[in-house]
This record gives sequence, structure tokens and C-alpha cells, in this order.
Amino acid sequence: MKERLHDKSNAQQTQDPIYQVRNVSVAFDMDRGTSRVLDDIDLDIERGEILGVVGESGSGKSMFADSLLNAVVSPGQLGGEVIYNTEDGQSVDVTELTDEELRKFRWQEASMVFQGAQDSFNPTRKIRTHFVETLDAHDADIEDGMDRARELLSDLYLEPDQVLNSYPHELSGGMKQRTLIALSMLLDPEVIVMDEPTAALDLLMQQSIVRLIREIKGKYDVTIIFITHDLPLLAELADRLAVMYAFEFVEIGLTDGILEEPSHPYTRALLNSTPNIFAPVEDMTAIEGSAPDPVNVPTGCSYHPRCPMATDACVESDPGYYETNANHGVKCHYWEDVDNAIPLQVTADETRQVDVPAYGPVAMGTDRTPVLTLDDAEVHFESSQGLFAEPDAVRAVDGISLDIYENEVIALIGESGCGKTTLGKTAIGLQRPTGGSVSFRGQDIWDAKDGHGDVEIPHEAIRQSLQIIHQDPGSAINPNRTVRHTLELPLKHYNDELDMGDRQARILGMLETVGMTPPEDYADRYPHQLSGGEKQRVTLIRALLMEPDLILADEAISALDVSLRVEMMDLMLDLQEIFDTAFLFISHDFSNARYITEKSGGRIGVMYLGEIVEIGTVDEIINNPKHPYTKSLVWATPDLDETGENEDVPLRKIDIPDARNPPSGCRFHTRCPEARETCARKKPVLVGDGGNTHEVSCFRDVPNHEYWDSPELMNDEPSDETPTEK
Amino acid sequence: MNWYIRRTLQALLTVYGVITFTFVLIRIMPGGPMESMRAQLIQQHQGSLTTEDMERINRIVETRVNIDPDQPLYTQYVDYVSSVLTGDLGQSTWHQAPVMDLLIERLPWTIFLMGSSITLSFALGITLGAIMAYKEGTILDVGLSSYSTFMTSVPYYVVAVLLVYFLGYQWDYFPIQGRMAPQTTPGLNYPFLAGVAYHLVLPVISVVITGMGGRALAMRGNSVRVMGDDFIRVARLRGLKPRTIAIQYVGRNALLPMYTNLMLAVGFMFGGAIILEEIFGYRGLGQLMYSSIGNRDLPLMMGCFLLITMTVVIALFIADLTYGKLDPRVQSGERHESF
Repeated sequence: MKERLHDKSNAQQTQDPIYQVRNVSVAFDMDRGTSRVLDDIDLDIERGEILGVVGESGSGKSMFADSLLNAVVSPGQLGGEVIYNTEDGQSVDVTELTDEELRKFRWQEASMVFQGAQDSFNPTRKIRTHFVETLDAHDADIEDGMDRARELLSDLYLEPDQVLNSYPHELSGGMKQRTLIALSMLLDPEVIVMDEPTAALDLLMQQSIVRLIREIKGKYDVTIIFITHDLPLLAELADRLAVMYAFEFVEIGLTDGILEEPSHPYTRALLNSTPNIFAPVEDMTAIEGSAPDPVNVPTGCSYHPRCPMATDACVESDPGYYETNANHGVKCHYWEDVDNAIPLQVTADETRQVDVPAYGPVAMGTDRTPVLTLDDAEVHFESSQGLFAEPDAVRAVDGISLDIYENEVIALIGESGCGKTTLGKTAIGLQRPTGGSVSFRGQDIWDAKDGHGDVEIPHEAIRQSLQIIHQDPGSAINPNRTVRHTLELPLKHYNDELDMGDRQARILGMLETVGMTPPEDYADRYPHQLSGGEKQRVTLIRALLMEPDLILADEAISALDVSLRVEMMDLMLDLQEIFDTAFLFISHDFSNARYITEKSGGRIGVMYLGEIVEIGTVDEIINNPKHPYTKSLVWATPDLDETGENEDVPLRKIDIPDARNPPSGCRFHTRCPEARETCARKKPVLVGDGGNTHEVSCFRDVPNHEYWDSPELMNDEPSDETPTEK
Repeated sequence: MNWYIRRTLQALLTVYGVITFTFVLIRIMPGGPMESMRAQLIQQHQGSLTTEDMERINRIVETRVNIDPDQPLYTQYVDYVSSVLTGDLGQSTWHQAPVMDLLIERLPWTIFLMGSSITLSFALGITLGAIMAYKEGTILDVGLSSYSTFMTSVPYYVVAVLLVYFLGYQWDYFPIQGRMAPQTTPGLNYPFLAGVAYHLVLPVISVVITGMGGRALAMRGNSVRVMGDDFIRVARLRGLKPRTIAIQYVGRNALLPMYTNLMLAVGFMFGGAIILEEIFGYRGLGQLMYSSIGNRDLPLMMGCFLLITMTVVIALFIADLTYGKLDPRVQSGERHESF
């Protein structure tokens, strides 16, 4: 029964809307036409709910956030009505407010938390000043306000006085983000608009913050609009979801409804393209095509160029909202058919089979020599404070031993600052270890470089065999050189017997292999004429042209859009088979690490503060994590089939200790929920359980260890890891 | 804290290096200052030289440049360094007076002249730049930007000459040369101070109106950049008063990169003073240095050279020590060094 809705308030049974958004558009006049970055939006927001807004980058979600506070940056033109209803029943149109009224409205009624908490504070003023001046600007009582600020900060697991006395740069990213949330709630607003508040943070921190947001929402009774590109994050947080595509909401409904019965083809594609830690690898697919240009939105349904179900009707008429049920609206003519047309990926609990990879774990039971061996490698960076002070050493890598075998894919994961990039660079000989050794097929890399002892493999050859792909392809390619020129250099340098024709043939062949066709066309482009994904392919080709034995991919897909990541990882794996290389894949994202290692039968290593705390095959790490830290990382990885909804954060403390002054004993004991007194005194070592690839460094893995008789660690031990310490 | 000690030692090392360098210049360079001074004296002597004459000449050279050529090199070096460190820069050949006394007599005048020029040009330039940034894209901004660009490309001495010609000779509003009114006694009395200020007007104006443009453009660029930062947007949303945002948020952060520039400008002020003081007949350090070149007064030139380097080193030292106060991000001093 298709019923076209007449009332534009669409499928929302709101009783007491705090916001009524009507016909809101944002337009920018540009040379090539009017750019409509918000297109005739209608939406009601219920008082006290958490509304999740999800969409890809460039879908207009930030504009929606801005328009709620009438804070669209000029020259953007905000049109339509944004009605705000106060608690005592008054209604105001936010777009009609005078400057002074608007100044009061913002932060007292509705406030905002930005993605860039890193840049949301004035670097030259203390955090306290930010709070005080905000209170001052709104003529609030400073003393009461600061009491509230302290309470908010401690609710967010921060130490109020320490934070207030810090300068912004002295706080870590997660701390800044939480401080910004506290600042946004300072004047007791009714609504908080959060625009990608966790995007720049590690998963564990993201999850912790999401939990805190939910707690704080309950305590302070606010309405939250949470905007993100990350659907799984919302699954656990939001009461209702609004899916944004091409500058309008294509589907709105209760979170459960949308996740279980997504009715818009785009929502389904989005769900299918999200790497999910428990879903089978084969079912993940990228969304074909790209998001529309705001100047030139397709006629009819804006999704039709990418939609597999599109018909002429979709091109001709723009669908309105269809009601699938009382709480669920969708803008698609054929929403009743989507179930068959676009099946959802099989969910975890139905058919979770451990898929046997094409070949068994490489590391097991082979007596081959590894391609690369790290033996007790250490990298300590000294940040000396002067002539007389003991230099502070940041132990970026602290005694790591690791073998990487032929064709193996190893993924290193860990939070930012855990030393995974340094370890990667050490492995491929870009960073000289301050202790231990790094050897390539038995030849110590740095001996070869310095000419110590008998050099069996010349440094030049080692250099060629160990390559890197950087996180940001944009800055890794010379912007003034064509693709052809960029790719020619490695060939000229290491393979000078090739003549020009051979070189060209190889380059064009490679471009074609990675799907950049027609290759002749791409070869003559400059980097700015390529998309992010294409640039990353060029860097991948550049590394492969050296015919390396090991490639370090340092967060190589993190800069890409979610829907492109799976594609890029597939490509890396395809090429890995063709070219016979091993991969050291560094990521902060468990899902990506799982995807790439599971497909190739590789291993995952978990790093914490310069040490590998657990390493093993995908199956061992994901399904049977032994180290409490690995468990918390698995917990933090978004999971669409959220079961234990109200699980507590499996950590005693949210923030990572200072790497300059790591905790004694087991480094994780300050955050570990299982820590006992032994952990603070003794340091566990990485051990396997005999003939297995799975190694873990935790006393809990050792039966009969004194740990089991040791008393539990008290929470109020003196914190020796204040991050602001000078 | 230890960083300060290291930075201080670094500054001292630089000063020491400069002294050594002047020694090398004087002593080792063939045909260097000592040789030419000796040649000068021999020329002046007229007639044939006896050994006694030669010895006398050597003695003169020695007292003037603080180096005794008969001593072994290292003794000469130690003597030279210790006499420089005790403030003995030798004897001026032209003025027949200790170099140190000459420098000390001139120094306050130049510091006063250039100090007020730099302060004014920075203060006006920064204000103007901030206004331009706030009015970005308006006629005012475009006009002031064009004016600033134009004035930056005009050398200050051209303006100085024009000022002297029109305001000095033609209309007689301001004195055309000198540094104080005649018949006044230096000290804290009104006629003297008024005279000093009166003589300062033209040189200061010529530096300020040419120097201000560059500062204004720099400040404008910095401010525009800062205004695009997220924290400005957040501050606006937080409802802070526009004045607070303009001064504490935009201004404060846009100023940071200008600070090192200011200190470098202090270092260059003596170089600039040479021509300026010559044009206005202002008896300051610049004029002294200029005349010492003309008079081939080598000890004096060396003294001026040492003084200028010292000023640069000290200015940068101050800049480094105080930068942390301005920008808390570099409080530890680890990541910032202005040279």
C-alpha cells in the first residue's frame, strides 16, 4: 500500500517537537551555477531524543547542523523556517532572530560541538578562560557556572582543575573533545548539535565518548543531534536515524527500524559497504559511482544514477516520503521491493562460519626464513630538556620482536601514539632502531647501510625491496609531475636496462591493472586531476614498480571514503598475489585490519605503548582475544548487531598514559579492568601457547600465576601519568 | 628551565664566535686591517724608515687594534678577546679616542631614533593590517592594500630626501639636520626634550610610512588566516563580544608570527641607520660608521661591526626567551627557535 504523504512533516510521530524544520535550503552562488547544499529539508526533532544524522562526506550534513543554529557561513543563503519551541511553549523562528537574539539563542538554547575540537580552542588562552569568557558573554554567574563546569568535566572522566589550568595544546585529542562537550553544555542548553564529534579520534575513544554522551544526556536532559558519516556509531547511540543523501533526507525512522528494515536503496548500500567486524568478508561491497555535485543534482530521485533498481519513473519524478510504518519514512518509489533487489549482508549470528582462507597462516610450521626480522627492536626518541635534566625518552618502540614471512599480510593496530608507525618505519629501514636489530633475509639492514661486517645483500637492494605507501596520497605525490613522470622515476632508478618503450608499457599496464582506464589518459594527468582513491592507486603502483618484497601501508586507506576502502583493500590483495609481496598494514581500525588479514590469511598484531601485547591470526584475535586491551578494542569496534546495549566501557581510565612516563609493570594496568596488584609490579612477556601462532602478554593467560592470588588494584592509586605533565 | 640555560650558552657562544671572527679578520687576512693601517702610517711618515720608526709604527698599530704582532698567535688571541670582553675595542685612528667611548656616546641617539621608528611602524602597521583584514574585500581594504604595496616598494631614503626638501628647505617646518636644538643642555628639561623630538620627526616619518606597509600586509594576511580558523567560529557561536574576538582571538594569534620579525628588525636598525642618519645629518651610530668607512678608521669599523652583531644576537635571544610568554605552545622552547 503506497500512500503518498500530504503533510510534509513526514513520517515522524513527534509529540513535543523542539525543532520544526520546514523547507530549509542552503544555497551558494557560484560561477557555474547555484550550489544547493541543503535542498528543501523538512524534519521534526523531538524534545529529549538523540537524533542521528548519517551521510557521506559532502552530503550536506554539516549544513544541516549549521542551519539549526542559523550559523551558515556566508555567502551561503539560508532559506525556509527553523522553528524552535521553548519548553514553556513559545515558538521562535531561528532564521528571523536579530543578531543579539541570535547571540543569546546560541549556547543558551542550542549549542554546537564540532569535529575539529583540536582547533576549537584559542591556542593562546587557558581552558578556564574559555569557560569564564563564555559565562561572562552571557551574563551568567561566574561562580555557579564554574561549579557546573567542574561537574561536567568530571562527568566526562576528566580532572576538572587539571584541565581548566591547561592550555589547549596540553590536552590530548580525546580530552579536548570532551572538554568541548563540557563547554557546549555550560549554559545548560536544551539542544546540542554535534557535528562529527568523534571523527578524528581512535575507535576506543570514540566509543568511550559515545557512552559518555548517552550518560550525560540522561543526567542533564538535553536533546542531541549527532551527525556522522559512521553509521555503526549511531546504531548504539541514536533513538532515531535520518539518512542524508544528496542534500536531503532520504530515509528517517527509529534506529532499530532503519537497521533492521532499511527501505531506501542507499541506506542498504551504506549498510553493506560498512566494514563490520563480525560480518563475513565476502558480503562487503562498495557503493558504485560517486555522490552528486551540488550544482547539478540529478533530476527525479537524486540517487537514481547509482541505484540498481532505478527506472524511468525515478528519473522523472522525485519521490516524496512514503510511510513504511508510523515511525519510518523513506523517499523511494520502490521501497517495498528493496528487500529482494538489494539483499543485506548476512548478519553475524546467522551464519558465522570461520571461512578458511585460501592458504593457511603463513607463519605456522614453516622453516622458511622470514623476509624481515625484528629482533628486540627499540626506538627511543629523546626529548632532552637541557644540559642538566635527565632526558625524557619517548619509548615509541620498546623491545619488539617480529618475523614477517614471504607473502604474509600483517596488520598492526593500536591507538594513536602507540608506536605503530614508528615500528613500521623501523621495519622497512626508514628509522634506525636505538636498540636491537632489523634484518632483511638475514642481513642486518643498518650494517648493510654502514658497511659493517660482511654485507651479503647490498643496501641498495634492501632499499628497493622495502617500500612504503603513506596515509595521505595527496602529499606523497609531487603535484607538479604527471602520473607518467612520477611512475617513471622508480623504473629509471632501479631498472635502467629497460628502454623507454618497455617502461611506458609497464606503466600503462599497471594503470590498467588497478582499473585506471584508459591508461594513456590517466598517465598524462596531474595529481590534482585524480580523486583520492586514484591517487592512492598511483602510490601503490609506484611502490610495486620497485618489485618490493615488503610494503608498509601506513594507514593507507584511512583517508579514503568508507565506501572506497573495501575496494582499495581488495586491490592491494589482488596485487599482492600477482607481485608476491608481503604487506605490513598499519591501521587504527579493527574492521579494516580484519578485512585485509582475513582475506589473505595473515596475522594481526595489537600494539600498546610501544609493545606488542597480542598477536595471532584473525580468528584468534577477533573471536578469542585474550589480552584485556585487545578485548576493549574489539568492544570498541562498531558492531551493527549490538547486543549488550548498556555495557560499560571496559576500561578503568579513558585516556592513554604519557608515553614519556609509561606505567610500571604491565603498561596497560592503569586502564585494565582486570588489573591486580601484581600487574603494577611485574611485567608480562609475550608468550605463545606452544605451536600456535597466538601470542599474548598477560598474566591472565598463565594459569597458576601469582596474579590470581594478588588483590585487585584500587582505583584511587596515585595517577602517575597525567598527560599534561611537563 | 634548562632550555633557558642552553639558550643562554648558545647566545654567549655566538658572541664569542663573533669576537673570534673579528680577530681573524684583523690578524690573519692578508692585506687586512692591520696591514693597511701599517701601510697608512708608513705613507704618512714620509721619508725613509729607520728600524726605530718601524717599531714605533708597529706599536701604534698594536694599541689601536689591540694586537701585538710580536706575541705568539694564541697570546695575541687571548689578549684580544680579553680586551674586547673588558670593553676595550681599541683606539679610533681618526677621532684619536677609544672606540668604546665613541660608540657609547652615539648609541643612545640611534636607539632612540630607530626604536621610535620601528615601534611606530609596527604599531601603525598592525592596526592598519587588522582593520584591512576585518574589511576584507571592501574598497577600504583594496585601497589600503594598494597603498601599502606601493609604499613598501619606495625606499625610505627617497621619502627622506623628499621630506627634507619640502618640509625642511622649502617650507621650513622642520629642522633639516642635527639631533637636538642648539643652546639646550642635555638632561631632563623641556627645551632639550622638545628639541630632540622636533629633530626626530622627519627621519621617523620617512621610516614609518615606508616600513608600515609591509607590516600591514603581513598582519592582514595573518589575520585573514586566523579568522578562518575553527576556534574563531566557535567563539562567535559561543556569543563572545566582537571586541574580545577581535583582540584576544584574532589579534593575539595573528601577532605571533610578527614577533620574531620585530626582533629581527631591531637587529637591522643599525644598518638602516647609516643612510638615514647621513641624510638628516643626525649624529648617531650610523653616521659614525659611515664616516669611519670614509676615513678608513679600521678599529672604529670593527667596533661598529661587533656592536651590530651583538645587538642582533641579543635581540634574538630576547625574542626566544619571551616567545613562550606570547605563545604557550612553545613554552618549553623545544620547537621554536627564531633563527
